[in-house]
Amino acid sequence: MTATGTRPRTAPRALALARFNWTLMVRNRTTMLYAFAVPLLPLALLFTADASGADPGAVGDAGVAVVGAALVTALLFPGYYNLLSMFVTRRDELVLKRLRTGEIRDAELIVSMALPGAAITLAVAVATIPVAGVAGFPLPGNPLLLATGILLGVAAFAALAVWTAAWTRTAEAAQLTSAPVMVIAIAGFVAPALPDRWQSWFDLLPGAAVGDLVRTGWFGQSESGAAVGGLSFLEAWVAAAPALGVLAGWLLLAAWLAGRSLRWEPRA
Amino acid sequence: MTDTATRSPGPSDQRLDETNESNRPSVAVEVHGLRRTYGSGDDAFEAVRGIDLAVRRGTVHALLGVNGAGKTSVLEVIEGLAAPTAGSVRVLGLDPIADRQQVRRRTGVLLQRTGFVGDLTVRETLRMWSATVTGARPVEESLARLDLTARADTRMRALSGGEHRRVDLACTLAGDPEVLLLDEPTTGLDPESRRAVWSLIRDLRDRGATVLLTTHYLDEAEALADQVSIMRAGEIVRAGTVTQIVADHPAQISFRTPDHELGDGLGLAGEAVEVARDGATTVLRVRDLQGALTDLLVRAREHGVRLEQLTARSASLESVFLDLAHDDRADDPARDEPAHDDLGATR
Repeated sequence: MTATGTRPRTAPRALALARFNWTLMVRNRTTMLYAFAVPLLPLALLFTADASGADPGAVGDAGVAVVGAALVTALLFPGYYNLLSMFVTRRDELVLKRLRTGEIRDAELIVSMALPGAAITLAVAVATIPVAGVAGFPLPGNPLLLATGILLGVAAFAALAVWTAAWTRTAEAAQLTSAPVMVIAIAGFVAPALPDRWQSWFDLLPGAAVGDLVRTGWFGQSESGAAVGGLSFLEAWVAAAPALGVLAGWLLLAAWLAGRSLRWEPRA
Repeated sequence: MTDTATRSPGPSDQRLDETNESNRPSVAVEVHGLRRTYGSGDDAFEAVRGIDLAVRRGTVHALLGVNGAGKTSVLEVIEGLAAPTAGSVRVLGLDPIADRQQVRRRTGVLLQRTGFVGDLTVRETLRMWSATVTGARPVEESLARLDLTARADTRMRALSGGEHRRVDLACTLAGDPEVLLLDEPTTGLDPESRRAVWSLIRDLRDRGATVLLTTHYLDEAEALADQVSIMRAGEIVRAGTVTQIVADHPAQISFRTPDHELGDGLGLAGEAVEVARDGATTVLRVRDLQGALTDLLVRAREHGVRLEQLTARSASLESVFLDLAHDDRADDPARDEPAHDDLGATR
């Protein structure tokens, strides 16, 4: 009775499950709408912004607002909300409990559920580049920094989803329990429009960090209104360090909170 | 000298050792002093109250008990899904939580209540599961084994309860496990499917697998189990083979006499473990059914008493189970001694 076959390694195991999660996401129309359509809506705003270059700082600010909005939307809907909803639904239906009786590890299970949303977020980020180009905006100045920031954002919002799932009883309740994370993501994104004394606090929110990363990584601006492309490769990394730190901080905080309270079975 | 001769023992060596019959522990599942408590403080509920259990390799062991007896709570600890409050559990000599990956590769688990994603087909479900299992058998083979080939392209949400259970079993058996932990494996199955599953379990046992299952179907335990442990209120109150358990239990004779004075005149108390009388009905619990029945008939003839509605029944697993599962005195050593009972018994 000894198993003699090839032993599935962690990455193939998580990827194999992720492939089925992708299939399921594509089959469900509501999930599809959240996953694909919603993140693409903000991109239409790129064509309403003035990218003529009459005011280079304003071009950067407009680009940060629209590209940042598209990325935050992608992080929130196919990323955060999709994972939250999937986790809670499958926990309710005892699917997670069943899977945990097998060889797959808990971390692999979470990664497999987060990967479809992460793939869409990355696809939205990539799609944004030609769309922004057609709308007359410059191409990303520091793609590596931008990619690092987006990956960190994907991980942070996935951790926030798992933490939210820890205290969300049902899939219906997720519509309410997701509100705090939605608010802190969107509120942070409007930080540049706030007075200075408020702005420093709002900069600590994940949405603000995404906006800052778009500003430094894509448009090379040190701050709102600064000249586009004003930062060198290294200067952009230095300028983006606080934003990367904020996302890493949210990732660690959410992962710690989720680790303390995560449930894999519905409450009795 | 080869590398093999000089290197330190590693996982592959352990694997080799495990496949060497002389080194294999004879007990596949071992439980000592297991306790499991839910909640804390005033709300604490002790579902498992210090049980010991040993399941020998290549045998089927049934945990019998009514709902709430603690069977699933025991199994969840053995499966590594929950930590024990006290006591220890070893599966194939390993700790199900600390050695999780090693244990999981060699065990197949079937939960009492379980779920699958409704939008996947049966085939997709098995493909998904098999992708996570070491040495999984081909999916088409798994489908055929559980008679699911005709339903392979049906979405899971469209399956009947019995078909759902068979998919669940197919997942459990996907990796050809050495130890099977089955929580009520045939609940919800039609009689034909139940017998097919029994046949499958016997076949697995015959090929060397160890099976620990819970059930409240007595015919299932009688049909499958080499060893039975009967649980009540978190404790094992009887354990052994079905024959041993039944042998320790008294048989039952019952009859009606128009006049209970006549029944008293039969003078049977000396042979009975217990005599209970309710109006004209007398129920005797006896060790030696043949001897007691013979004596009863002889004395009835001598006294000219007509015994109406006479029945004699050997002890069965059902009678033992019902007595133990519901009787607070089951683990009382004096239980098998003659005693008064609820019907106003005499000695």
